Amino acid sequence: MSEAQRRARHQQVVEELCAAAIRALAGDAELHFRARRLHRGRRALPLFAPHLHPSLEHDDFGSFRGAADGLALRLLHSDAPLHERLCPGEPVERLVFELLEQIRVEALVPPGMPGVASNLRHRHAAWSRGLHHAGLTDSARGLLLYTLAQICRARVANEPVLDETEDLLEATRAALAPLIGHALAHLRRDRHDQAAYAAHALQIARTIAQMLHGDGSAPLGEPRDADNTDAERAAFSLLMDLDAQIGERFTSAVSGRSRVLEESADGYRVFTTAYDREQRAAALVRAELLREYREKLDARIAGQGVNVARLARELRALLAQPAHDGWDSVQEEGRIDGRRIAQLISSPTERRLFRSERVEPIADCVVTWLIDCSGSMKEHAESVAMIVDVFVRALEQAGVASEILGFTTGAWNGGRALRDWQRAGRPPNPGRMNEQCHLIFKDADTAWRRARAPIAALLKADLFREGIDGEAVRWAQRRLRERPEARKLLLVVSDGSPMDSATNLANDTHYLDHHLVQEVQRIEQQGDVQVFGVGVGLDLSPYYSASLVLDLAGSTGNQVFRELLEMIAGRHRR
Amino acid sequence: MNTSISETSGLRPDRLLSVRELFGIDSDLNVPAFSERDDHVPEIDPAYRFNPDVTLAILAGFVRDRRVMVQGLHGTGKSTHIEQVAARLNWPCVRVNLDGHISRLDLVGKDAVVLRDGQQVTEFQEGIVPWALQRPVALVFDEYDAGRPDVMFVIQRILERDGKFTLMDQNKVISPHPFFRLFATANTVGLGNLNGLYHGAQRLNHAQIDRWNIVASLNYLPRDEEIAIVQARVPSLADDAGRELVGAMVSVADLTRKGFAAGDISTLMSPRTVITWAENVEIFREPALAFRLSFVNKCDDAEKRIVAEYFQRCFDREIGESYAAP
Repeated sequence: MSEAQRRARHQQVVEELCAAAIRALAGDAELHFRARRLHRGRRALPLFAPHLHPSLEHDDFGSFRGAADGLALRLLHSDAPLHERLCPGEPVERLVFELLEQIRVEALVPPGMPGVASNLRHRHAAWSRGLHHAGLTDSARGLLLYTLAQICRARVANEPVLDETEDLLEATRAALAPLIGHALAHLRRDRHDQAAYAAHALQIARTIAQMLHGDGSAPLGEPRDADNTDAERAAFSLLMDLDAQIGERFTSAVSGRSRVLEESADGYRVFTTAYDREQRAAALVRAELLREYREKLDARIAGQGVNVARLARELRALLAQPAHDGWDSVQEEGRIDGRRIAQLISSPTERRLFRSERVEPIADCVVTWLIDCSGSMKEHAESVAMIVDVFVRALEQAGVASEILGFTTGAWNGGRALRDWQRAGRPPNPGRMNEQCHLIFKDADTAWRRARAPIAALLKADLFREGIDGEAVRWAQRRLRERPEARKLLLVVSDGSPMDSATNLANDTHYLDHHLVQEVQRIEQQGDVQVFGVGVGLDLSPYYSASLVLDLAGSTGNQVFRELLEMIAGRHRR
Repeated sequence: MNTSISETSGLRPDRLLSVRELFGIDSDLNVPAFSERDDHVPEIDPAYRFNPDVTLAILAGFVRDRRVMVQGLHGTGKSTHIEQVAARLNWPCVRVNLDGHISRLDLVGKDAVVLRDGQQVTEFQEGIVPWALQRPVALVFDEYDAGRPDVMFVIQRILERDGKFTLMDQNKVISPHPFFRLFATANTVGLGNLNGLYHGAQRLNHAQIDRWNIVASLNYLPRDEEIAIVQARVPSLADDAGRELVGAMVSVADLTRKGFAAGDISTLMSPRTVITWAENVEIFREPALAFRLSFVNKCDDAEKRIVAEYFQRCFDREIGESYAAP
């Protein structure tokens, strides 16, 4: 497994476990992580305090647990509207106030949960050490904030300060004592009463803000000594970034909002649909080549050792519902079977005169695989084709219809659409600008056996160009809605954000991303099609509420299939 | 059940007891009780803790002749609760477990072939309902929602307070004994298996649900009460150190219940599981091992890691299933 994939998987597991712990501790089923940020339903929650956002590179699992517990306690014990009302506007005051409120709730660990207390302690120590080593404590003002955080936590939680920096704090602590000593003394006593506590916290926040602003004219974050500029700025940004999005550090899909799309009155635009195509993939590849690809694919599947029968059984258990399916006659009990009454006369000892309703699991369901055929997927094409082929075969055995669709573009860099735009005098904000190409590898009415060759077209590398996800998702949903089955699942396999360089250049960077987010939200709200994001070594949670990071490299055996099944069953919630 | 009518039907409650003394509940109510213990009176469990609301609801059933249904998740002690109230009032109590195969004949009675003076004769044998109806007996339908709704209409009439019961097979109308009482317990409120936990629960007819005068809900107990119950059941954990351990165990159980409500795990720990765990701690001397044997192994593989997180929160230790375990 590549390093990036391994980290994305690690992140998925950590977020799953932390989200589950937060939900249980806070008793709120709506909470989940999306793009590394805690959401309640569709709304992102505030960031609360700086130490609640550990990073996968520097922090261990224990830190994530501590942060999760801190978030849960915050949601459990802090009255958000009251906090909002009291919160000061000035940035430093606000930072201190937020921090103190977090310290308060972290002192309110429920009884019988020593593990929570120890996770919080671990996280606090790791965070403090991180700040110390990042150079925050080298400047006087950094040290002031650091000392404040340390002594307040020590006082409210009644725990000793971090050993490593204890000596460092002495001077600042002595200087602070006369100024905030009184308020500090009340913090612990009032920790159960948010409003009373907030009065003291506001007083401390005001004092600290005055101290920081008072000793120099430079605004905060721009230190006066030139020698440690960078270090201090970096360290301050660790502390102060309460409003910013948490950085998408790696392997999370990069998503953002598009101003062009938001401000445009008629929504998402397409410059021209003249060159858009919807094609059967098999028609684009020579028959001999398809046969060759199919052999290659079969060899790969054989080497994988997947138990298709078992997968089919599991799929049936997951997707099928018991339903009446005819009658069993010649039963010893049940309802009287009229056709056998004559037999009662002719052979009175024969007692099997009854019939009973037969109940069979029937899967009234259709599954669509929508595969991103953008350039970067080339390297995963064989694995994806293998998974999809096996899955479709198992679905068919389980009596579930399935479609395999793909999306790419007809050309690189805009193709003929771009040329037309240039000829038209480059009007501003033209919308999507490329030759969209939708591929059908297998439709729901074709049996797997007949679609064996077309599926192998997934291995044809030169079909893979750019990707316009939003429109493709909409297309796949439209096809699904025309199907008669009651339950409809759409699985989107992708390894990246939507990518089309011409569209992005002519509009703005996140034009296609934003559209994908809108489309997925629309489908999720309509609710008749369940949509899942299957990320190939990439976290797709910014786009899809239900998503999974798949590990494709190397010998995956049955593991991949088990994870996909669990995702469909609603596990792997972040 | 072979006691004849004349033996028991003459019994009636002959003294009044104070609820405060009997159940430790703050109420001035006095309840009628029998002074004699019949064979059908359940054994008293001295460690049993009464939930005040549910106890008052059940007592209302006994004192004022109301039909009481107790609803709650499994392992919360619904049936035991009714039994223990009856035990303290010396009120005879008969539990009937309903299932999908209980038919009208089982409840009402049927013609059966019996031997009399060496001769085979057909004779009507009363089912449990007419039998109980003529005696001062509290009849408890356990798993009421497992009974088939079409069969349950048999008891429609007797759900009314003075409802007489017509035995059509016998051309006989039975008036209920003045001290006959009827209770039921169920996991659901008659809406069927909504959360996937109670397979086999039926959707009940709401004209019938409507006839139950009181529906008491017995869900999980407050933390301190649950700790006290576990300590009462497992005396070796009754000291202060034991209280801390049991407190952590109850916290784990509470997290699994909230996790279940949030849909993260599909198995939850009932108070019964906590007691089993505590008993297994006595055997294995090791809470983590006992936890695995009494609960973790009942969970789906994919959920074990989440359960391990709950355990870590409450015990500050890892079990083998944990993601953080080496």
